[in-house]
Amino acid sequence: MTEERAPFVPNPLLAGLIGICPIVAADRSLPEGLALGIGAAFCSLLLGILSSASRGLVPDRLRPLFSLTLATAAALLYSFGVRAYSPALADGLGIYLPLLAVSATSLHTIKRGSSPGSRPAGGERLASIAMEAAVFLAAAAVIGGIREILGQGSLTIPLPRDGELRLADLSFRPIGLLSASAGGFILLGFLAAAYRIILRKAGRRIP
Amino acid sequence: MSYLGIIASSVLASNALLSYGFGAIPAIGAGSFRAAAGIRDGRSSLASALALACINSAAAAVLWCVRGLVLFPLGLAGLDIFFFALIVVPPLKALARAARSGSGIPAAVGAEADELIVGSLVFGIALVAARGGYGLGEAAAAGAASGLGYWMASSLLRRIRERLELSDLPDAFKGAPSMLISAGLMSMALLGVDSALVRNLGGSP
Repeated sequence: MTEERAPFVPNPLLAGLIGICPIVAADRSLPEGLALGIGAAFCSLLLGILSSASRGLVPDRLRPLFSLTLATAAALLYSFGVRAYSPALADGLGIYLPLLAVSATSLHTIKRGSSPGSRPAGGERLASIAMEAAVFLAAAAVIGGIREILGQGSLTIPLPRDGELRLADLSFRPIGLLSASAGGFILLGFLAAAYRIILRKAGRRIP
Repeated sequence: MSYLGIIASSVLASNALLSYGFGAIPAIGAGSFRAAAGIRDGRSSLASALALACINSAAAAVLWCVRGLVLFPLGLAGLDIFFFALIVVPPLKALARAARSGSGIPAAVGAEADELIVGSLVFGIALVAARGGYGLGEAAAAGAASGLGYWMASSLLRRIRERLELSDLPDAFKGAPSMLISAGLMSMALLGVDSALVRNLGGSP
């Protein structure tokens, strides 16, 4: 008798390290993690839908440029949305919001949509993009949360117009290094190793 | 800021890879993405350094012109990345492909540059240089120095990877996790560089 397993979606961030550029440098708190994760998901899904929907309209030769332009438009649209919601959050993320256009998550979607043999985005492919985006969002939020708790001694959720809801306020000396890129690299290294150990214990292949 | 200060700051205090995280995937050697600039296999080091310096300098200078001379007067400076993708990337790609079809060092540089143009490294460095309040020459110098800073950091990481492959690491840490931790330690070392001091090297131009 064969045992059926649930579909396995490797964590794109911890397994393939896809999209680590903004995560190491700008994902320093839960609000920043949520903003980057939602942005990456928004860009990937929009690209997945629009680039395939326009397949017959744009010549293959121009598809890479068309997809890249779409990606930058999506990232800009999202960054304006974040600025409208919380200007301080948008200022903190700085150039990393528009750079979501060329983050590896978006480029990964562009590659999949632009390859000559790829089919138009059916429900299955969009579901796959959505699943990866959701896993990426969860990982970005967890990493931001860990860095905020250990690096700043608090945990917050962003509210409109620069307000914030404090979920926790801890009284210990924070590890300031975690708010810097150095701390982001080191934490991501340990989390990637922990993810491999968990996969191995679950009987999955180490990526 | 002096040119010396801009170069020292872009290479050390604001390193593209270790401070901003630009181009981290190929430098770490993770994922299915091609290792940019011969980083994974260490080939053609001179071509890699030249490609990184040339393409980032050109991207920063062109974006500075588009942003400062066209978009800013029209109140559209916030759309700089869109116009970068739309009107700066295609000619840069064409230039890199033209160089690629030649021979010798220019061909190698063109091939490396062609691979690098669409990615967080070139886009990120160009945005930082164009939005950094520099003049045209300073933005171009900052772009070139940032490219060289990235090449320096990724070359060091490649050497570390070669050493780590021979050492007895736990399985879970082999490969990308150990490289991430190494990059973090290198980044920590650069935190010790006083950015204000570095920026003021050589005094005012």
